[in-house]
Amino acid sequence: MNFLKFITKKIYLFIFSLFLSFGFITSSYAVDITIWDLSGRNGQDEFYDNLNKEYKKINPDVNIILQTFENEAYKTQIQVALNGNDGPDVFFNWFGEDSARLARAGLALDITPYANVEGGYGNYISEGLSNTTAVNGKIYGVPNTSVSKYFHYDPAFFEANSLAVPKTFDDLLNLCRDIRAIDSSIVPWPLGNSERWKLNHVITMLNQRVVGEENTAADYNLSASEDELFTNPAYVEAWQKVVDLQDAGCFQDAPNATHPDLTRSMFASQISPMIYCGTWCGGIFNGEGFSDFSYFRFPEVVGGAGAATVGFLVPSGMMVSAKTAHPEIAAHVASFMVSDDMALQAAELMGFMPSNPTKIGEMSNPTHWFNFYVNDIADKTGHVNVLDVLLEANVSNAYLDMGTEILNRTKTPQEAMDFIRQVALEAKAAM
Amino acid sequence: MNKNNTQTNSFSLSNDKVSATILLVPALIFCTIFIFIPAIGTIVGSFYSYSLTSMNNWKWVGFGNYIKATQDEYFWVALKNNFIIVFASIVLQVGVGTILAAILDRGIKYGRVIFRTIIFTPMVISSVAVSLIWLIIYDPNVGILNAIFKSIGLSTPSKGWLGDPNISIWMIMITAAWQNTGFMMVLILAGLQGVSKEVYDAAEIDGATGVKAFWYITLPMIRNVLIVAILITTIGAFKVFEFIFVFTQGGPSNATQVLGTYIYLQAFNLFHMGYANALSVILLLIALFLGWLQLKSSRKA
Repeated sequence: MNFLKFITKKIYLFIFSLFLSFGFITSSYAVDITIWDLSGRNGQDEFYDNLNKEYKKINPDVNIILQTFENEAYKTQIQVALNGNDGPDVFFNWFGEDSARLARAGLALDITPYANVEGGYGNYISEGLSNTTAVNGKIYGVPNTSVSKYFHYDPAFFEANSLAVPKTFDDLLNLCRDIRAIDSSIVPWPLGNSERWKLNHVITMLNQRVVGEENTAADYNLSASEDELFTNPAYVEAWQKVVDLQDAGCFQDAPNATHPDLTRSMFASQISPMIYCGTWCGGIFNGEGFSDFSYFRFPEVVGGAGAATVGFLVPSGMMVSAKTAHPEIAAHVASFMVSDDMALQAAELMGFMPSNPTKIGEMSNPTHWFNFYVNDIADKTGHVNVLDVLLEANVSNAYLDMGTEILNRTKTPQEAMDFIRQVALEAKAAM
Repeated sequence: MNKNNTQTNSFSLSNDKVSATILLVPALIFCTIFIFIPAIGTIVGSFYSYSLTSMNNWKWVGFGNYIKATQDEYFWVALKNNFIIVFASIVLQVGVGTILAAILDRGIKYGRVIFRTIIFTPMVISSVAVSLIWLIIYDPNVGILNAIFKSIGLSTPSKGWLGDPNISIWMIMITAAWQNTGFMMVLILAGLQGVSKEVYDAAEIDGATGVKAFWYITLPMIRNVLIVAILITTIGAFKVFEFIFVFTQGGPSNATQVLGTYIYLQAFNLFHMGYANALSVILLLIALFLGWLQLKSSRKA
C-alpha cells in the first residue's frame, strides 16, 4: 500500500515537473530567423557568425541561420521559395526591377513602419538610399552595400609607354589604338561577354553619357508614349560607340565566347593593361597577386547629354519575406545588419561599400582601392542603375541579346534599337 | 470436383489480381504525385498567363500561349535546333558508335577491353563537368583547340567556337558525341555479339567479307538494336538541357536555344510561366510520341 502511495506521488511529481518545464519552454522559446544570401563572398561566414553573436546580445532568443546560394541559381530559387511556405525570413536582392517585382507581387514585406523604431534601419541609412527600394512610396528593403564600376589600369605599363589616362571617349579610342600600336598582340581592354552582362554594363554607361539620364528615364520605366518609346536617336549613337570601341581594337577577338573571369585574370596577370570592372574586382586582382593598379572613371562623351560626374551604382541588400512568421524581428535583424558596428564589419570582412558609413574612418588598414571606391562614389553627382537590373525583364533580355549581336556584327546599332523598341512596346502593352 | 477446381482457380485468380493491385499502388501513388499531377498542372497552366511572382493572379488566355508559340521566332529556332541535334546525334553517336562497335567486334584482335573502357569512360562523367572541361578547350584565348589549329597553320573562328552563331551548336554537338558515343558503342556491340559467327562463315563462302559483310550481314541483323539506339538518341536530343545551359545558355543571340533552355528562359528569366507551360506541353507531346515509338520498336527488338 505504501509502495502504491509512493508510486502515485512520484507520478504526480513527474506530471507537475512536466508542466513546469513546459511552462518554462513556452515562456522562453527561440525564434529562428533564416537569411538567404549569395555564396562566395570573402569573409562572409565570419560576418554572419559575428552577426549572430552580436544580435544575441540584444535579443538572446533569436537564432540567425544563414543559407547561401550560387548567384545564378539564387535568382530562380528565391522566387520559388517566396511563393512556397519554406522560404527565408530575410533575403538578399538587388534593388531595381528585381526587387520591385517582388514588392508588387506581395511577396516582400513593406518595412516602412519599422524604419524609425528603436534599432530600425532609418537610424542608420539615409532616406535617399532607402528610397532606392521604394515602390509606390513604401520601403521594401534595407540596402547594405552598393557596387559601382571603374576602369582599373596598370600604371606601370602606362608610365613605361607614356600613355595618359583618357578624359574623353575619343581619348579612350585613341588609347586602344596606341596600345595596339605598341604591340598588336596586347588586348587593351579584355571584354568577357559570354554571360552577356559585361557589355550590358558598358552600354548602361554609354546610354547615360550619350542619351542622358533625364532622357532615358521615361523609356526605362516604359512610361514614355508609344510614339516616343526608345526612339531617341542617341540610343543608336550609344550602340555605335560600342562598334567604335571594337574597331579601335579595344577588345580581344571573340568577346562573346570569353568568360568574364578570364578577362579579370588577363588584367591581374598584367597581360592586358586595363579593364572595366566592378568594385568587387579590387579584392580579386589582389587575390591573384596584383595590387599595384589604379583607376579612372568611365570617360566623358563630348557632346553627349549625360554628365561625366554620374556613375554606375547598383544598390543591394536585404528584403523581408511577406510570409515571415516574425515580421518585426526579421525587419529588426535586417536593420541590425546596417547598424554602425555591423556595417563596419561588413566593410572590413567582406569589402562592402557600406550603406552606413558612420564608422568607416575606424577601418583598420583599408586597401587603396577601397578608399578610392568609397570616396569616388561619394563624390559623384548622380548614379545610374545597370540595365539588366533596372529594366523590365523582356526589355532587359532584349538589351542583353542585342549586346551579343552588336559584338558579333549580326545587327547594326539601328537594327538593335528597332528590336529593343519592339520588345519595349510589347512589354508596355502587357503592363 | 470440377466445380471445386474452378472455385480454387477463380479464387487464386482474384488473389493474383489483388496482389498485383497492391504491388501497383505504391508506384501509382508516386507516379500520380510526381508525374500525373504536375503534368495536369502544366496543361492547365498553359491556358493561363501568370508568372512565378504572381501565383495568385492567373489570367485566362485560352489557346493564346499556343498561338503565341506559332508566331514566336525563337520557339521555331529552338525546335529546329532540337531537330539538328537529333540528326547530328544519330550520325555522330549511333553512326560512329556502330563503326567503333564493328571494329571492336571483328576488326581488332587485341586490346578490346582497353579500347572499350577508354571510349565508354566519358559516359560516367556528369554532363555539367564535361561541359566545363570543354569550355576550357573551346576558349578562344587560352583553349587548346585554338592552339592546335594555330600550330598547324589553320585559322580559327574570329568570334570563337562558341561565340559564332553559325558553328556554336555544332561545337556543342561534338562534345555531346564525345560523351555519349561510348554508350551507343556498347549497346550496339552487345547486338553485334549476338550475331552468330556461322552466318559470317556462310557469307564468306559466298564472297561477302569486310565492308560487304558489314553492310549486307551485320547491319540487317542488328536492325532492331539500331532502332532502339536511334530512339534513345532522339529522345535524349529532345531532352537536352545541361550542355546548352552550361556552354552558351542558348546564346549567342539565341543561336543554340533548344526547347529545354527556352522553356527555362521564359519561365524563370522572363517570368512567362503560362507560356513556358504551353511550350512544355508541346515538348511533352513530342516526347510522348517518341516514347510510343520507342516502346513499339523495343517490343519488336
